[in-house]
Amino acid sequence: MKIKKFFSSQKFIVFVWVLGIAVIWEIFAFIVAATKRTPVNVLPHLWQIIEAFFSDKKVSGKMTMAELIGTACQETLLRAAIGFAIGTVLGYLLALLMNLSRIVEKIAFPYLMLIQMIPILGMAPIILSITGDINTSRIVIAAILTFYPVSANTLAGFKAVEQEKCELMYSYASSRFQLYTKTLIPSCIPYFFTGLKISAPMAITASILVDTLQGGNGLGCMLSQSLKGGMTRLVFWDIVLISAIIGILSYQVMGLIEKLICPYKRTKKAD
Amino acid sequence: MDERTEIMLDNIGMTYKTNDGRDVTALTSVTLDIRKGEFISLLGPSGCGKTTLLRIIADLLTPTQGNISVGGETPRQARLKQRYGIVFQSAVLYDWRTVRKNVMLPLEIMHVPKEERIDRADKMLELVGLSDFANHFPGQLSGGMQQRVGIARALAIRPEILLMDEPFSALDEFTREKLHDDLLRIWRKTNKTVVFVTHNISEAVYLSDRVCVLSPHPGRLSAVVDIDLPRPRTAQLKSTPEFTALVAKVRSSFEGV
Repeated sequence: MKIKKFFSSQKFIVFVWVLGIAVIWEIFAFIVAATKRTPVNVLPHLWQIIEAFFSDKKVSGKMTMAELIGTACQETLLRAAIGFAIGTVLGYLLALLMNLSRIVEKIAFPYLMLIQMIPILGMAPIILSITGDINTSRIVIAAILTFYPVSANTLAGFKAVEQEKCELMYSYASSRFQLYTKTLIPSCIPYFFTGLKISAPMAITASILVDTLQGGNGLGCMLSQSLKGGMTRLVFWDIVLISAIIGILSYQVMGLIEKLICPYKRTKKAD
Repeated sequence: MDERTEIMLDNIGMTYKTNDGRDVTALTSVTLDIRKGEFISLLGPSGCGKTTLLRIIADLLTPTQGNISVGGETPRQARLKQRYGIVFQSAVLYDWRTVRKNVMLPLEIMHVPKEERIDRADKMLELVGLSDFANHFPGQLSGGMQQRVGIARALAIRPEILLMDEPFSALDEFTREKLHDDLLRIWRKTNKTVVFVTHNISEAVYLSDRVCVLSPHPGRLSAVVDIDLPRPRTAQLKSTPEFTALVAKVRSSFEGV
């Protein structure tokens, strides 16, 4: 019984999943190592990537790999976080406005869709020429990407509130303000978090991607330097691995916060 | 109109416009006086307009025809004075609030001070027999318990009129019978006027002072049957010939539908 429970547990599934990726990676790494002249440029072994991360060897000036990536992470994540926060606040406010006024919804929604459809790399130079500063543009783009999922999901959350809940509030002769604070806003929290879970990794990806456009100390800057031969290629691989982990973590953190502010999500059904 | 009348419906009609511009009559010329403290059922098959009628009383719909007064006022005035407690088919609980806080919700809307809110909520939970579950979340309760929380919440604002829209139809037979007795006990204690919508004949007969039979196409009031069974009623009543006869009488008023 216990064993069966373990095999169907979330932890076990995650374990199998990670192991599966590692195995497939290694199969190809061995093939690459046997056939290509510079395998590290194509697909190094996982252990090489991990070893490089923890090695004392200086990869750039006086910095080891861990130090280099650590500083770069801070830069990029800070920008992603600021952009994410701005995008979340604006996205939420717009969803609120769209729900309050049908006219606002009709006018704003097509623009929302449009912003979502423009590729980030196409948008980046435009934002750069407007703001005149690459770091500001990085923040703005992270915000723009966060904006849509948060706004669209929150609006869907407002619209999904049961009709009867609104009728109850109506029968209590509640004010519009009370309708929002007591009913609409709390009930759309799960939808809001769905938006956050989608956009948190997106904000980070966007921040890294826009890093590559110009110099600086961000993850993307290091990544493109490594690709251009300015540093060992393992910097590139380490950054790829680390950013994947950060992306997944950012999703998990959103889930954790949701559970913290929604105690009812932690309870089980009693008999 | 006698002075014991609580809700007066005079020639009420409701006509909807469909999207292609046709008129659909949901309810036509319903005239009915509901007395203070009376338990009255609106009984009928789906499409007979019983829920429409309840929603008109609750000021959730405005009739296209006729007059309605609730204690001499319009339904809107009655609603703004918080004279209605409503219970829906589903319990409509707020899953992020504990059971106690669910019952406290309407009191928060009414700006009742906090100590009194807690006090009143706990009294209502005691009335429906859920004191031990005050700190549980609705997701942890069974369907019958959830519906009882819904009733406690409706009663918490001390409404004069309790409007119930098929409140027990989603429950299993055993839970439903238990809740019938709970509801009768609560009603006896609190003396509310109850308007109870149902499509279950024996439920209507068991609970009510009067059963209003509605027929569909178009929705109309086709009969009002007095249920002169003694109170307090218990489950044994259901196997008496008097009860069976009344059920048969109500059923026969559906013939020709």
